[in-house]
This record gives sequence, C-alpha cells and structure tokens, in this order.
Amino acid sequence: MSGSREFSFRFTPPAVPIRFDESRCVGCNRCLEACMIDVMLPGEAGKHPVAAYPDECWYCGCCVMECPTGAISLHHPLMNQTRWVEKASLLKHREEET
Amino acid sequence: MTEQAKWPYPSRVEETTRLEADVLVLGGGIAGCMAAIAAAKRGQSVILVDKGAVRRSGAGGSGCDHWESAATNPCSKVTPEELLQAMLDDNDGYNNAISHYIECREGWDRLLDIEGMGGKIRDTEDEFAGADFRDEESKLLFAYDYVNRFTIRIWGTTFKPAMERECRRLGVRLVERVMVTSLLTEGGRNGGRCVGATGVHTRDGGFYVFSAKATVMALSRPARIWLFSSAHPGQCEFRPMSCIGDGHAMGWRAGAEFNMMEKSVRAEFSSAGRSFPPYSTGNNHNTWYPASLIDAEGREIPYADRDGDLLPDFAHRGRPAPGQKFFLKGGNIEQAKYEFDGPETLPYEKLKELGYKLPFYADLSAMPELERKVIWGMMVGQEGKTQVPVYRNFTQRGFDPERDVLQCYGVGWTSAEFLPQERQLFGLPGGFMNDWDLMTNLEGLFVGGDALFASNCYGHAAATGSYAGRKAAAYAGARTAAVLPWEPQIRAEMERVYAPLSGDSVNGVGWKELNEAIAKAMQNYCAEQKRDELLLSGVELLERYQREVVPHCYAANPHELMRLLEVFDILTVAQMILQACLARRQSCEKLEFYRTDGEGAMEPFICIRHDGEKVLRREVPLDYAGNIRENYEKYNQDYIAERAGEVEA
Repeated sequence: MSGSREFSFRFTPPAVPIRFDESRCVGCNRCLEACMIDVMLPGEAGKHPVAAYPDECWYCGCCVMECPTGAISLHHPLMNQTRWVEKASLLKHREEET
Repeated sequence: MTEQAKWPYPSRVEETTRLEADVLVLGGGIAGCMAAIAAAKRGQSVILVDKGAVRRSGAGGSGCDHWESAATNPCSKVTPEELLQAMLDDNDGYNNAISHYIECREGWDRLLDIEGMGGKIRDTEDEFAGADFRDEESKLLFAYDYVNRFTIRIWGTTFKPAMERECRRLGVRLVERVMVTSLLTEGGRNGGRCVGATGVHTRDGGFYVFSAKATVMALSRPARIWLFSSAHPGQCEFRPMSCIGDGHAMGWRAGAEFNMMEKSVRAEFSSAGRSFPPYSTGNNHNTWYPASLIDAEGREIPYADRDGDLLPDFAHRGRPAPGQKFFLKGGNIEQAKYEFDGPETLPYEKLKELGYKLPFYADLSAMPELERKVIWGMMVGQEGKTQVPVYRNFTQRGFDPERDVLQCYGVGWTSAEFLPQERQLFGLPGGFMNDWDLMTNLEGLFVGGDALFASNCYGHAAATGSYAGRKAAAYAGARTAAVLPWEPQIRAEMERVYAPLSGDSVNGVGWKELNEAIAKAMQNYCAEQKRDELLLSGVELLERYQREVVPHCYAANPHELMRLLEVFDILTVAQMILQACLARRQSCEKLEFYRTDGEGAMEPFICIRHDGEKVLRREVPLDYAGNIRENYEKYNQDYIAERAGEVEA
C-alpha cells in the first residue's frame, strides 16, 4: 500500500443496524416516516435516507416492514447475535463421550 | 453524517401553533389510540399528539403476540372477578385493582373492536386446526392455560396500522413528531384543573399549545433511570427509547399524585448491556412458552407442576396442576404464588444436581408440530421486535426449527443475570394515581396504559386507554367550553424547552452525558438496599444536576433537543423515585423495596405529590377501590347499556 493514502475523520458508530440496498431503494422515505425513534434523516432526492442516529435504533424492524421494495436489512449488533447448533451435533457429542 | 452537516428540515423555532379540541390525547401508542377512538366515537372532537408517527409508534407499534386477561372471551372459564382477585392476591394487594378489573372485564371487547378495525385475532386460515390451544368454533388461539383460555395469541403486527386508520376515519386530528413537554393547568396553578398541554416539534422545533376540555395522559412508563449505554441507548431497556416517562415527569411538575414509585425491580432486559434482545435467545417463557429445553448433551429438561411433580407429557404444560383452578402464567417470570403458579422446567440448582450441563438450548424440533409452528412463525414474528431481526433474519441465516436448537444464556427468560443496583421499572411499576374514572387528582386529566400505576401489557393499555377516552368524552361533553390556558405558564415552558438550543455548542453538556450521570447516581444512591443517608445524598446530587448542569446543556437541532428534554424528564422522575423511597419507611417485599433502616409497621399504598415547594405524602388503603364489581357497575351504567345494545343489534 502506498504512503499517499488520504484519511478522513468520522465518529465511529457502535453498530450499523440499518443497511440499504441502493439498487432496490426507490427513495420513498416510508422507512423514515415509520420510525418511531426518528433515527433517519432524508437523503438526496430519490435516494435512501441517512441513518443519522443508528445508536438510537431499538431494532423493532418497522422500517423493514414498511419498505415496499425490500431495500432495507436490519441486523442486531454483533454482540447480540445469538447462537444455534444442529441438535444432532449435541447428541453425537454425547455418544462419543459414552 | 458529520456533526457539521446541514439540518434537512426548516426551522420553526418559536413559531407557535395553537390547537383546540374537546378531548386532547397525549401519546399515540395503544392506549392513546384507543382513547382517541373511544372519545371520537362519542362525538367529541379529538386531537392526538405523538412523538413519533402513530402508524407504528409506542411500545406496541411493531407488534404483540398475546393478549392477557381476556376473561370475558367466549371460551374463558375464569370470571373477571376471579382473575382480578388472583392478580391482587399474587401481589399482596399492591396492584391497581381498578385498571386491572377494566382489563379483565373489557379487554375482550377491545379485542373485538380492534378486529373490527382490521386487526387479526383469529386463525381464519385454519393453519392451526386441531391444535390443543385452538377453539375450533371461534378459531381463537390460546396461550399458557389451555384449559381456562383467558390469554389469546394474536397477530399484533396488524394492530397499530389498523388503529391509525380508525383514528383517521373518525376524524381524529393526528399531530405527529411533536413531543409533549408540559401540562397546562387552570391559572397555572400546581394541582389545578388540567386545561391542555404544550409540545415541541422534533424535526422543525415548532412550538405547540393545545387546549381542551379534557385530557388523556397516555404516555409511557419511565426508563433509563438506572440503565444507560451511550453506545447503544436504543437498547437500554425493553421498550423503545422514545418511551421514557415524559408523562410522569410533566405530571409531577404539574402537581399530579403518584403511587408505587418506590418500586423497582432488578433489571431483566438491557440488550445494550448484559442481556440479549428479548425473544432472540433460547428460553421457555412468555412468547416461547411452553418450549422444550435440552442441555448441552441433548437431554430434555423436565417440566414440573407447582408441587414439583414431573409432567407426564407435553400436553400437561398447558394444564393447571391437580386441584388448581387456573394458573396465571407458566414459568417463573415474576414467579407467581403457589396458588397461581404454572408449570415450569425444574429449577437450575436441581438440574445441576441431576447432572444437566450448560449451555441449555430451546429445542422446538422435539415439540408437536403445531406447538412448534405457533412459537416459531406466529409468536416469534408477531411480537414487536421479532418479525424482522429474529424470525426473518434467523431464517435467512439458515435457522431451521426442525433441525437446530437455539442457545439459552443464563437460566431464565431475561437471558442474563443483572447486579442488584441495575434496576428497571418493570413488573407493575409506579405511575399516576387514579380513581374509578381513571382520573387523577388534577381535574380533567384522565390516564390510560403505562402511565397508570401497576400497569403491564397490551391488553391493559388498550382497555384502560379506551376507558379513559370514554370518561374524558363524558367529562368534556358536560362542559360548555375549554378553559383558556394561562399565558405566563406557556411562556415559561417555551423558555425552558428552547434554552438548550442557545447553549454552548463546544463545552455544553449533551443528553448522553447527563443521562449516564443520572443512571450512575441512581445505581449508587438508590440501589436494591435503601437507607435514608444514601437516598438523601442522591437527592442532593440530582438537585445539583438540576441547578448547575441543566442550564449548561446543549442541543444542536430539534432531534437532539427531544433527546435532551427526555433526559430532563428522566432527571425529574429520578428525583420523584428518591422522594417515594424516602416516603416509605418499611421494607415491602412485593414492591421489591428493601430498607436496611426500616422502621414501623407495614404500610399500605404511599402516594406522593409535589405542591411546588415540598413533597406531600398520603397513605391510601390497599383496598381503596372498594367492592370492585359493584363500583365498576355503578360507574359504568352507560357502557353496560351500550354493550347490551350492541349485542342485541
């Protein structure tokens, strides 16, 4: 990597709850209007809103429910993503032990 | 977006909009919508003010999966009186007999109203035909006690949009994105008649003055008193962050009386910290009752009845124990007394002795097919916060309930163990004191939903909201004109709410710093064990914040201003809680109130209010509601006649 890279300053978000698929978004702002917390601000005309206050999101999913084109995904912060396993793997483990 | 970015909405700061109606409803959640609908149906002009947008706002905006205490539904084998008595006995009387009787007696009526608006309450597609929890004739689905059938599974994601449409159809004027900041009283007098409210727009900063003949308080219960995360403020508590008890704070400032504010419980939910998002982990409570659990080696964890006797089969998880008429809830969430206790997996200590190994998992695969589907797909899917981030996302990531098992964290539904000083207002917390009209000591101010003392869930919010709306309509109907607000009170409030916009943009204190300081103070001075010296130190510290920090706070735009005004309200509520704790002199187990310096006899309800100078304490008997059924019927002849007419028609 060269040494002439340009840096920028930003406030590091603790998580990125709301992600927009630009190819699907029609810029209707229904997500923004549905949000009870008002975490989004209008973006450029015809484009998706800006998630201006992502830390205030309570992960209710209303923005996704209201989106007419499936352009939004919502993800719990990494620390809150819970784990599942195949049940068979637990039984196999027990068989091996006995 | 950087902090320097231009605000996308125009500024209307100090522009005042004045609106008047017969009935003013503060808060557009479940209770507020049902209040507005009830008042509008009785011919009153109605304004409903909401901090968000009514379609999806409030704690129930995104959904709900079960409706409790529908004792008058056609399949219920429990009467409203029996169910209420259980709720009172289970709490040694420290409960709101009036509001919960309204829930038990009218909840089913409200569910039918909501169905009429377009909400889905029945399995019309016969997806669950033949299930133990289904009534084949009415197509209603029940939860918990399948024999007595008073808790109904619902498709709650459909409810809030239906209520919003109904409000519009009835001509309710919806004022959205306006945060209510104060109550207006006749002549500006503390404790005087409520004549309206003020608000501030959360996008453009415009100022609102509402006046009305009657007002319904339908704002939420307080939150973020002890729990705060500046990284994830939206996940600090169970309810949305906009629900933080603004109503309690403005009520206290206006001289309203509060009950049970000394009650707080060790935290159960804070996915910003110790726990996980509700319903997203393996568990067998609430939405997930009666899921099967297995241990780390796949061994099924036994369920037992209240006597500790193992249940012979799955079906018994929905049945009362031998000799028990009905049970309140399965599981040991807010563990019911023996008389009302439902089935539960064996206690963890017992399981450890028997050799069961952590972690445990919820195992839907081992359950009867319809029981699996009603949890994964209906309940997890209709409960707010689960349809998208849990049901849809987990499914997309490959979770298959017939093959996979979901990990439990901790051993209860809270999915974590909290510290004693980490507290929440949960499990019937304190709120506005009410009479049989759900009116407060401020004449003309009625209360519904979470603003009431000892409130709990969706059905309670809908039933009490509607009741408050109809009482407000009757009160307004008997008055010729609204009393004009007192202008100096409006000017003072305008000055208060706008001050942070002119604060120091570089060194001013922001809302997060203040909220975090309040939460830490409350953890230090109002933890599980209380004593006067600690509480008084807390009072002193919070008074200092009020006096020295609040005037130096800063908000860059109307959104930040809303967040900051919320924290000012949190500060007010925290002060109220300290005063309520000082007012109760003896420990009280059912209020989870413990003093190390307790003195004197057990006390009844202790209500407090602020007269502008000092805090006033009043003892109220636990049975102040009197004979419940007689009094309900005395105060509701019009409603009883109205319903009888509807049934005949």
